[in-house]
Amino acid sequence: MRPIVGIALISLLLCGLFFPLLVTGIAQVVLPWQANGEILQPYGKPVGSNLIAQNFTQPIFFQPRNDSDSGVDPDITVQEAYAQIPGISNATGISQSQLKLLVDENTPLVSIVFGDPYVNVLTLNLALISQYPVYSSYR
Amino acid sequence: MITILDAAYVVAILGGSILAAKAIAPYIAKIYTHGPSRLDRFLDPVENGVYRLIGVDVHRGMGWKEYFLSGLLVNLVQMAIAFVILTFQGELPLNPQGFSGVRWDLALNTVISIGTNTNLQHYNGETTLSYLSQMSAIQFLQFTSAATGICMGVAMIRCLLAGSKDLGNFYVDFVRSLTRLLIPFCLVAAVVLVALGVPQSLNGYQTISTVTGASQMILIGPIASLVSIMQLGTNGGGYFGANSAYPFQNPSPVSDVFEICLMLLLPTALIFVFGEMLGPEKKREYRPILVAAYSLFAIDLAIGFIPTTTLGPGMETRFGGFFSAFWTVVTTAVTTGSVNASLYAMHPFVILAAFMGMLIQATPGGKGVGLMYMIMFIIITVFVVGLMSGRTPEYLGMKITARDVKLVMVAFLIHPLVILVPTLVAFASGAAAQIGVSMNASGFTQVLYEFTSAASNNGSDFFGASANTPFWNISTAIVIFVGRYAPIAILLAMGGSMIGRKRSPEVGLKTDSLLFSGVLVASILILVVLTFFPFLAVGPILQYLHGQANFLG
Repeated sequence: MRPIVGIALISLLLCGLFFPLLVTGIAQVVLPWQANGEILQPYGKPVGSNLIAQNFTQPIFFQPRNDSDSGVDPDITVQEAYAQIPGISNATGISQSQLKLLVDENTPLVSIVFGDPYVNVLTLNLALISQYPVYSSYR
Repeated sequence: MITILDAAYVVAILGGSILAAKAIAPYIAKIYTHGPSRLDRFLDPVENGVYRLIGVDVHRGMGWKEYFLSGLLVNLVQMAIAFVILTFQGELPLNPQGFSGVRWDLALNTVISIGTNTNLQHYNGETTLSYLSQMSAIQFLQFTSAATGICMGVAMIRCLLAGSKDLGNFYVDFVRSLTRLLIPFCLVAAVVLVALGVPQSLNGYQTISTVTGASQMILIGPIASLVSIMQLGTNGGGYFGANSAYPFQNPSPVSDVFEICLMLLLPTALIFVFGEMLGPEKKREYRPILVAAYSLFAIDLAIGFIPTTTLGPGMETRFGGFFSAFWTVVTTAVTTGSVNASLYAMHPFVILAAFMGMLIQATPGGKGVGLMYMIMFIIITVFVVGLMSGRTPEYLGMKITARDVKLVMVAFLIHPLVILVPTLVAFASGAAAQIGVSMNASGFTQVLYEFTSAASNNGSDFFGASANTPFWNISTAIVIFVGRYAPIAILLAMGGSMIGRKRSPEVGLKTDSLLFSGVLVASILILVVLTFFPFLAVGPILQYLHGQANFLG
């Protein structure tokens, strides 16, 4: 009995506490931004996570997908982003070519390398907010 | 069909994983042959302290019964500890979200599922489990079940070595699997995962005000540490209900590829470890296993890649159609069972490929146990070839006895038994209809998949939390338990009888040849396809034909 219960308890301490706490310690010291969910704070207060989709219902913003498995898919394909450009242009008066440029500038290289170019919706919308006065109330 | 770029990724990922596995194999072999290592200076005192504390004599070897029972009993105590933590998490610390205790049937299903390396999950971790439960119930059992699987595989290898006197000492193998393999490898993997964007925090879920002023909860927690072992240990149980589709578990295509490589690493490495432990004279005997495992895996991939999978509902944009389908085939080939897209989103052929991985369980299968299944198939193949050529069947210079063949056949037949009987019971008893499963080809696929995944200790499923009912929790728990321990016990019983068996220089069948690899692949396909074809035909194959009929109008 002693070896059986003993090894079970020791493995609990080692794998169930020591290991996750050690990783937490290292992560919080060395990589705090990633370890805490890549929270974006463009104007001093947190507005969301770089990795988690948030709802944008107003027609002046790019919209995320809501049919995907996780329910919080932060990205849309570049094609989906292009398809939304006329609507946003109508609602804001920003020219379609400027919006297309914005999408292209924010398409990460990694998404092109892996074959299916996509853009992060929150990144796109924060870029709109920072660049165009029509969004000044969101700053 | 897939694009050239996609095919290049497949070759690079599989090739890279095989090379990495080969590179670490000598180190892993030394863990179990007690060869000298630079880590000895630090780890020997720690490990010796543990052995003294629990009263284990390092030098005392075990027979198959003692080795197996030690593993089983240690696992049961570990599951009991985790059961208590889950049930009383409401009263325990590290519960910033204030989740209440887990209901007994779900807790039972969860500890058996995670504790056997299956990780079928009838819950959504992010809305059910406290930080303590995620760490000290889930991650804990993910480590121990992975270590147990490796120990059983290594014990099987020792049975086949010419000079072995026993199977080794379970406690020593278990401790060294944790201290020298799983914990250091997972530590590196976890830090890489954090760098790639996977959170690791105990600060509680963060409520923030979004750009447009809505309130949003950001679900951070001790995620990277869990993901490292769930992929490296081929466990598959996720922090989130959506598993590796949730961005915090798998933030980008880079993390996706990294996690695929983590899954492939140890099952593949153990094939090379087999060669290392056999010694210079017999080292080549690992080759038919590697060739057969990866040929069958290639067949799975080919089936899965026949349809062009394009990004659609149920998939994550960052992975696209191809990496979603690729992951689904890999995760079943190594019985991990993590998913990065909804199985409902997959073409019936991708599901068929997933079934093949789970039914064979050796392509290369779960670490340790996949190797045991491959040895089972080798014994069957050697026997059949012996019958055809009129020679006494031999493997590694040993005569294969009638008892060996009977045992491997029983081990093989457990799989169809624990998959097909419960599938029929689920339909006949109305339990399938109760959770909204339709009486058609896709409904049959879903139920067959649930029990196949349970029996092969895979863990991917269609149902998720919707199967959190007493029938599904208890029936799958039984299937998981029998599917895990019964074949291991039977194969170790066969292995145990090989210790001390007379070896003669090989004269008959050359089992390290390419020809034998081909025969091995053919006999595995014939055995598995003959056994399961009728059931696959009324599941995914019929679904595909329906789709074609609808398409043609």
